[in-house]
Amino acid sequence: MSTPQEILRFSHVSKQFPGTLANDDISLSIKKGEVFALVGENGAGKSTLMNLLYGLQDVTLGEIYIDGEKISAQHNPERAMEMGVSMVHQHFKLVPSFTVAQNILLGHEPKKGLSYDFAAARKTVQQLSETYGLEVNPDDEVQKLSIGLQQRVEILKALRIGAKVLILDEPTAVLTPQETDELFEVIRRIVRDNDMTVILITHRLPEVMQISDRVGVMKRGKLVSVLETASTSQREIASLMVGRDVIFDELRTEHPLGEERLVVTDLQALSDRSLPALNGVSFTVHAGEIVGVCGVEGNGQTELAECIMGVRPQTGGTVVLNGEDISRLTPREIRKKGVSFIPEDRMTTGADAKSSVEENLLLGKQRRKEFSLFGIHLRRRAVHAYADQLKEKFDIRTPSVEEKMSSLSGGNIQKVVIAREFSFETPVLIISQPTRGVDIGAIEFIHERIMQKRNEGAAILLISADLDELFRLSDRLITIYEGKITGAFKTEEITREEIGFYMTGAAHGEEKEAGENA
Amino acid sequence: MRKKLDKDYLISLFTSIFLAFCVGALIMLLCGYNPIDCYTQMFKGALGKSYSIGNTLEKAMVLALCGLAMCVAAQAGIFNVGGEGQLYMGALSAAVVGAYVKNVPAWVVVVLALLAAIVAGGLFAWIPGAMKVYWKVDEVITTIMLNSAAIFFCSYMAKGPLKTTERGIASGTRSIMKDALFSKLIPMSNLTTAIIYSAVVAFFIWYLMTRSSTGYEMKLTGNNERFAKYGGISSKKLMILGMVLSGAICGLCGMLEVFGLHKRFVTTISNEFYFDGMLVAMIMRYSPFGTILMSLFFAILNIGGQAMQLSAGISSEVIQIVQSIIIFFMAAEGGIRHALKEKAALRKARNEATRKEALQ
Amino acid sequence: MSEVFNLALFQQTIRAATPVILAALGCLMTQHVNITNIGIDGMMLIGAFFAVLGSFMCGSWAMGLLFAIILGVALGLFYYLLVIKFSSDEFIIGVALNLFAAGLTTFLLRTLPLFATGGKLASGSFKSPGIDPLPVIHIPLIKDIPILGELLSGYSLLVYVSWALILLCWYFIYRTPWGFHLRAAGEHPEALEASGKSPSRMKLSASVLCGILSCVAGAHLSLGYVTMFTENMTNSRGYVAFACVIFGRGNPPRVFLAALLFGFIDALGMNMQTYIPSDLTAMAPYLVTVVMMVAVVLWDRHKKARKAQVTAAKL
Repeated sequence: MSTPQEILRFSHVSKQFPGTLANDDISLSIKKGEVFALVGENGAGKSTLMNLLYGLQDVTLGEIYIDGEKISAQHNPERAMEMGVSMVHQHFKLVPSFTVAQNILLGHEPKKGLSYDFAAARKTVQQLSETYGLEVNPDDEVQKLSIGLQQRVEILKALRIGAKVLILDEPTAVLTPQETDELFEVIRRIVRDNDMTVILITHRLPEVMQISDRVGVMKRGKLVSVLETASTSQREIASLMVGRDVIFDELRTEHPLGEERLVVTDLQALSDRSLPALNGVSFTVHAGEIVGVCGVEGNGQTELAECIMGVRPQTGGTVVLNGEDISRLTPREIRKKGVSFIPEDRMTTGADAKSSVEENLLLGKQRRKEFSLFGIHLRRRAVHAYADQLKEKFDIRTPSVEEKMSSLSGGNIQKVVIAREFSFETPVLIISQPTRGVDIGAIEFIHERIMQKRNEGAAILLISADLDELFRLSDRLITIYEGKITGAFKTEEITREEIGFYMTGAAHGEEKEAGENA
Repeated sequence: MRKKLDKDYLISLFTSIFLAFCVGALIMLLCGYNPIDCYTQMFKGALGKSYSIGNTLEKAMVLALCGLAMCVAAQAGIFNVGGEGQLYMGALSAAVVGAYVKNVPAWVVVVLALLAAIVAGGLFAWIPGAMKVYWKVDEVITTIMLNSAAIFFCSYMAKGPLKTTERGIASGTRSIMKDALFSKLIPMSNLTTAIIYSAVVAFFIWYLMTRSSTGYEMKLTGNNERFAKYGGISSKKLMILGMVLSGAICGLCGMLEVFGLHKRFVTTISNEFYFDGMLVAMIMRYSPFGTILMSLFFAILNIGGQAMQLSAGISSEVIQIVQSIIIFFMAAEGGIRHALKEKAALRKARNEATRKEALQ
Repeated sequence: MSEVFNLALFQQTIRAATPVILAALGCLMTQHVNITNIGIDGMMLIGAFFAVLGSFMCGSWAMGLLFAIILGVALGLFYYLLVIKFSSDEFIIGVALNLFAAGLTTFLLRTLPLFATGGKLASGSFKSPGIDPLPVIHIPLIKDIPILGELLSGYSLLVYVSWALILLCWYFIYRTPWGFHLRAAGEHPEALEASGKSPSRMKLSASVLCGILSCVAGAHLSLGYVTMFTENMTNSRGYVAFACVIFGRGNPPRVFLAALLFGFIDALGMNMQTYIPSDLTAMAPYLVTVVMMVAVVLWDRHKKARKAQVTAAKL
């Protein structure tokens, strides 16, 4: 059965979770030395399929063959690695306080007697890094490395055991365009020189086109299609993913600019690790405009939003709302003055998983007259009715607003957050990563809502890691790099490539001029 | 807004209680006692006579107050393990007011003592609360340490500066004004009008936690402090409020014990009552109503256990063992249920798989 | 003042610190795998009880110690089952464990005919010449050196064992692959799992070690520190041990210093009893522990602020 070039074969594989069938009868063959892209919406079952291969979860039904050998019922990551399969996860599996060498050799430490042989570990890692041309310092503590470098450590960890198959789970989500190019360079090199097979889990179609040989499309647990990359298009893949043609139309229409709403001047702040995160950020947002903040994650966007909202203390500069300085106010006061906020991490700061949908929708209005008698007695019936109303209006899919938030899907949770924040009727909105991990249907809905808010005259600051989203929605774009604004542009007057140039600090010299434009 | 105590949970609760009783019976058998006899004595001892019902109700009142104190702090996401110390501080302050305030009507003494106890308990809870909120010092350890410190401090006061001159009392303060004492509701029992004060407090806490805007804000703070903060709730203030309220209830509980039962502060005013109440609150998942009900049950075990010791001769600690087993089961309840469910789901999937194969 | 500050004070310091050290070593095992175990106190109490039981029944301290260790393994497994397998709330289990320990030991003390004297069942405490205490070690040579000899020699066996264990724990946690797996299981279990090692197995080892060390701490309390069992004789030492672990950030030598500080305050209080009422001196160790908890947090903040200043200055 096994053809000579075949390295992996899935044969009628199914995975049952309590309540859901995550993988449904999947059959797939992957050839040696190819780059295979696995695409699909969130929850389509891509990661589950790879977890089965890697032994993180047990197969319910069906067989998987690695290099002709069937995986056993006791399959686990250790066995998978012995059989030559390695995985680099989306969330790095690195121990922050350990060094690079200690992380790469975790679970396979060289010993001298009982002791850990640190010298041997260092040497092994150095050799490994030279063999594959991936430069790292074995003695650096991982928590002090950039994201790109951490990913490199992860890849080295995978290569260390002489993997034949490397699974990369959303590897580019956190990288700069330049780092992405470097990563692709590494992938091409190891496929060519070391005869590796690479499986890429992703949802970024341009990258699929750029790097892969073949692409498999998953939808609701099923593998719907396997295509040769050279003979397909992004549009075809996208429509297979959602089962209908998604047309990302132009949403933006001409709209008159209003007065200045939010003026940020020379804002400075520290990160959680007490390092400078914002080094003098200045910009203005007008009524009826969306200003998009472009940048690679970790360059101060998180801190910027938190500073404006007052949840992070600022160390310098001012934030002025409608002519009034709000720099020193608490989040409660800032919200009262008319700023709404959609935080980037909906599961920890945007919503509370343990509370019900209606409780999540109520937040911020719990002392309003319509929901609270004298600000003391909560009118639960009114809250319920109001929540039902929002549920209809924002198409939140849940059997009841009394359900726990944790029972909702990612897209619906985000809709709850948006429903809550958009119903404040505030003149200023800070929106962070509104569609991260949200399926395509919900993205469209959310984008339309944001655009509607702008057309109603709201001033919107949009922070996103998704350039397509920023280009689609923003009237103006500003780029942020290492806590500084490196450029400000009208959206029509700039290309993606140029933005990438500013996002990575390559255009550092022009920063001053750009600052004046902002 | 959904109740946290759903049907599944109640089934688990009754199963746990049943199993714990079985373990208790086993221990009794091993030690040569007749379990049926012991348990009969226990229930008789707790509910058999009118005065024993009174004692049980009084005990339930103490447990419920302590449990509610735990609930209200936990709702705001802060764990008050220091209720025992707060209770002592409240009791001592109330006893001082009761004994030293003279020449005023009795009701004034009661009101002043109530205030003194609430303030003392609240302030004593504020210390670890503020340390937690502003400095992020783990409140579990600090409150436990402050428990020991408070008990030794009160003991020092009762044996030293505030010691009564009455004979036969080694460690107690002067007795409080006679007219200010709570009157007995059931003769010969410990039940006094204190239970009316408790009922008012219990209603207030229940209302605050489940029906008020502040309770809603506390709940979100307790569930997810960052979320609450991002949403414009002053989470720090609410956490401190929860802690201070909790301490105030404990202080008040101490006052009720002084004015209802002991007539003065004595060093044995509480025997880890707060810990019992705290555990009741925990197994009822900090639901105020559930805590009150469960307090009744635990009071029966407690009072009945003592009676059982007298009549059946078995050490009452066996009941403490039974209680802790109930708690072990209830804490592991989710995990056990999950394990059972997963097993069932797996079995189902396997069955379906084989059926599919058979069809093919 | 010589009545207060004398050699005996330092000897007393070491004696008082030892049970806390042993329990803290147990606690730091679970702390490293990210389990907040506040049930240490109960484990200690059970260890103390069964050590006395074993020693009295068999007439040998070694059997007492063995009993404590067996109970430690059992408690460790029980704790692991509840907290890791059934993912129960660590806090509830800890508190319940303490309640359970108090109930169980008191019940057994008052019920077992073994402890009866003159036909009367024991109550409150149990003391008997039949309990074989842990041996006192006189170190050959050192014991003859004047001051040093008195300071270092003549303690109960487990005092020396605890010193050896401090070094051993440090070595195993920071210098062996096992220690790296242990810390990885606490800091980033998925990382450990992805490398093919089981985090829950590390948590199991940590729980069992914690049980053993806590019970041995209890054995020292009832067979070394004193030779008797008293109801609730741990006096919150398990919680103090927990505080020492926080204070020492899980690093055994630093935890040792914290425990010594506790022992010193405890000993000082006892020596001061002639001047100050015992209730007040008894408060001191608990208040010091609170101060320790605050100090460690404020110190961290200070360091963080300093670091930020330095980096800011660099830029």
